[in-house]
Amino acid sequence: MKTKLILTAITTLIAGALYAADIPPVGSAAPEFALKDTKGQSHSLSQYKGKYVVLEWFNPECPFVKKHYGSDNMQKLQKQFTDKGVVWLTIDSSSEGAEGYLTPDAADKVMSQWKTHMTALLLDPDGTAGKAYGSKNTPNMVIINPEGKIVYEGAIDSKASPNPADIPASTNYVKNALEESLAGKPVSNAQTKPYGCSVKYKSS
Amino acid sequence: MLILGMPSLRLLSIAAFAVMLLHSALGQNYQGKELVKASLQTDTSAIVPGKPFNVGLLLRMAPGWHTYWKFSGDAGLPTEIKWNLPAGWKVGEIQWPIPLKTIDPGDIQTYGYQDEIMLVQEITPPAKIDNSPIKLSAQADWLVCEKICIPGSANLDLELPTSTTTQPKNTDLFARYLRLVPKKFPDDTAKSSWSRTGNDLHLKITSEEIPNYQNLDFFPIPQSNNIVVGHPSVESRKGNEVTFKIPIESLDKASSSIPGVIIFSKFPNSNDRSGWEFGAPQIAAAATQIAQPSHGLATFLLFGFIGGFILNLMPCVLPVISLKIFGFIKQAGDSRAQIFRSGIAFCAGIFVWFIALALLLIALKGAGRDVTWGGFQFTNAHFVLVLSVIVLVFALNLFGVFEISLPQSLQRGMLSSADRKDNLGSFFQGVFATVLATPCTAPFLGTALGFAFTQSALVILAMFVAVAAGMSAPYFLLTAQPAWMKFLPQPGAWMVHVKQFMGFLLLATLLFLLYVLGAQRGLDGAIWASCFLLVIAIACWMKGAFIVPTSSATKRIVTVALIVVILLASGFYFIGDKFESSKIDIAQNAPGGDWQAFTPEKLQSERDAGHAVFVDFTAAWCLTCKFNEKAVLETADVRDAFQRHGVVKLKADWTNGDPAITKLLQQFGRPGVPLYVLYPGKSEAPFVFPELLTKNILLDKLETIVIASR
Repeated sequence: MKTKLILTAITTLIAGALYAADIPPVGSAAPEFALKDTKGQSHSLSQYKGKYVVLEWFNPECPFVKKHYGSDNMQKLQKQFTDKGVVWLTIDSSSEGAEGYLTPDAADKVMSQWKTHMTALLLDPDGTAGKAYGSKNTPNMVIINPEGKIVYEGAIDSKASPNPADIPASTNYVKNALEESLAGKPVSNAQTKPYGCSVKYKSS
Repeated sequence: MLILGMPSLRLLSIAAFAVMLLHSALGQNYQGKELVKASLQTDTSAIVPGKPFNVGLLLRMAPGWHTYWKFSGDAGLPTEIKWNLPAGWKVGEIQWPIPLKTIDPGDIQTYGYQDEIMLVQEITPPAKIDNSPIKLSAQADWLVCEKICIPGSANLDLELPTSTTTQPKNTDLFARYLRLVPKKFPDDTAKSSWSRTGNDLHLKITSEEIPNYQNLDFFPIPQSNNIVVGHPSVESRKGNEVTFKIPIESLDKASSSIPGVIIFSKFPNSNDRSGWEFGAPQIAAAATQIAQPSHGLATFLLFGFIGGFILNLMPCVLPVISLKIFGFIKQAGDSRAQIFRSGIAFCAGIFVWFIALALLLIALKGAGRDVTWGGFQFTNAHFVLVLSVIVLVFALNLFGVFEISLPQSLQRGMLSSADRKDNLGSFFQGVFATVLATPCTAPFLGTALGFAFTQSALVILAMFVAVAAGMSAPYFLLTAQPAWMKFLPQPGAWMVHVKQFMGFLLLATLLFLLYVLGAQRGLDGAIWASCFLLVIAIACWMKGAFIVPTSSATKRIVTVALIVVILLASGFYFIGDKFESSKIDIAQNAPGGDWQAFTPEKLQSERDAGHAVFVDFTAAWCLTCKFNEKAVLETADVRDAFQRHGVVKLKADWTNGDPAITKLLQQFGRPGVPLYVLYPGKSEAPFVFPELLTKNILLDKLETIVIASR
């Protein structure tokens, strides 16, 4: 009986550890990554230690991403917070040949045509950064505090739809979380279910 | 076409959300290819007024493309249907067929449909329809994905003639998709239990069906944006048992279960799949809606105050009120300040009891126990027994069998003056009055406390303080303004007789308590408890006869020793042995008349059979229940009305605190009995009657609700 209990406890612990490797929970240390931007320059998470960092999973052909870029919602948010010193890293984890895959040139074109305001658009065709964060959707949002801990992960806003007309009536979770964080307050709604397209990872 | 510039992006958005009107079917085209063809179908050739029929949103998808289930999984979006129906028309929930589970690279799991799917809803037309034909319109929105995702939308119409007769239509089509709709979890043949370790929920299912299927799965249906569910998996299975592991990825630490569907099939996604839906049953869903308080905290505190005030008028407090009024009369001769001090002490007793009760409740609630008003009191035979002993001892005291005197040292220490002793007495009378009052769930108190139990510890405390304030208000006012007491009779020799008469009122209360014990533990239990009470009475008499100020030290010691011995011996024998072993099974005690015993399964099966069901939540110790039964439920015209409308009558006996009944009471936001609920039919929301039932309300509702659901 006792052995069984101990075994159960050990299995649970192992399962928990494996699981933790899958999606880093809110409050834990954000996994390190190093990715190249459209100009071939490398960005790592550790180089931004001491600043708030927003990660945004991106796919220019996903209707949910288009909802927020077509309406200028995402650009405004990027501008509002990069102006306040927040680092905004947009990550495209689409694999080569899949929907939303971008060559550095194509990515540059998207940035200028869509008039984006992110700090950098990072290319992750191998999906290593995406998988490290267990990121499954575009858009999927993660906010990391200056100590390198995750303070928010989940949806951009409260209304899961591809319709831009829903934006005015939605609660923007990312905006709220960033405003609370910058004001030195804890994030009141620190985790939500992200919505959107699936991230188009490479088949393994 | 890899990159979409702003102009083409805007065009696409407009195209996707443009509303195009066609007659019955609408296609969604993308790059010259038709992705989804949408149409509305019915299972009837004509609409018969008042008769429900099925409509289905039929989606035909291009090969390789899929739409989503009500929980889409890691990505995607459920299909939505918005009906635009004329006034008086009702539409039911979407009957979602069991979806297919797809796993994409990156461990992305989604639940959806391929090739073709129909989402069926029941539409109930009003009893009278003026025009024909009828046009019903709906807007459908969906997301269709292959490797990429495209949102789609269609405004669909359905035109049907009205008639008195109808022919079935599309029988095969409807059968195909309704067969795939999960059934309710069969409580009568299968068992389920939830547990949680760390971030994982575990659902254990025991059923004889399990060995018949190679593939078992659990599809979760999270109810909020803040719950992020991982991927459920089979943790272990053996014979009739299977355990699913459902990881919770969000921060929520409190959930101990999650609604979902248990899936059975030969192979993953095979066409023979069937399922049991779980966790958010109709009863719970309807009840949650009812339990939603529509008033603010201030209103509920006011209800608590009024409820507390009304407690003074409850039959079970009456003897103590008389007792207290008698105390006031005695004090009327004293100084005004002294009267006020006694009043304050009495009120303090009330407050202390309620606050203690609140703290106990908060502690128990924290420990995760199912605690309800009266539930941990009168459903507990030991509580009733202790109360019986207290009532008997007080009665004997009033008869003058013995005098209550505090030990000399305590008297010297605490009661340096005579008025102190009176205050202490008043304090305990306040406590005692409230102990007797609490089980009476007065009408206002029901709602107010029902609200409080779902709240935080602080609100519960505030609520109890409000009740205490209400109950003590008259005493406070009367002692603060003793002028009003001048209407009370002058003290005199008659007081001794009044005091002794009060003793008989307490004995009457004792009879009621014994009746409750009898209902809980049978005749044997009540008799064994009475034997113990007899010994208590003897002990009281021994104290009164042999421990008086003149008796010697030896006499005192011998008497006390004897008292302890007989109390211990009788306690062990009558209570520890005999009383404990006498238990009756309420469920086997068939309720009288045309009532049937309540079980959740019975309720479900009667509702599934399309019967209207009335449930009487009652208990032997609930006087309001007894009154309602005699004055309303058991009268000839009400009995006839039940019979005429073919209503099944179930009696839920909560005398012993049956946990299944406690659960249902909580779902209705009620802390205790009485509760009267009418389930009109299979899917309509239950109607909850007020606690003080009247014939008019009941007959009226039977007429309107039961007939409307036909």
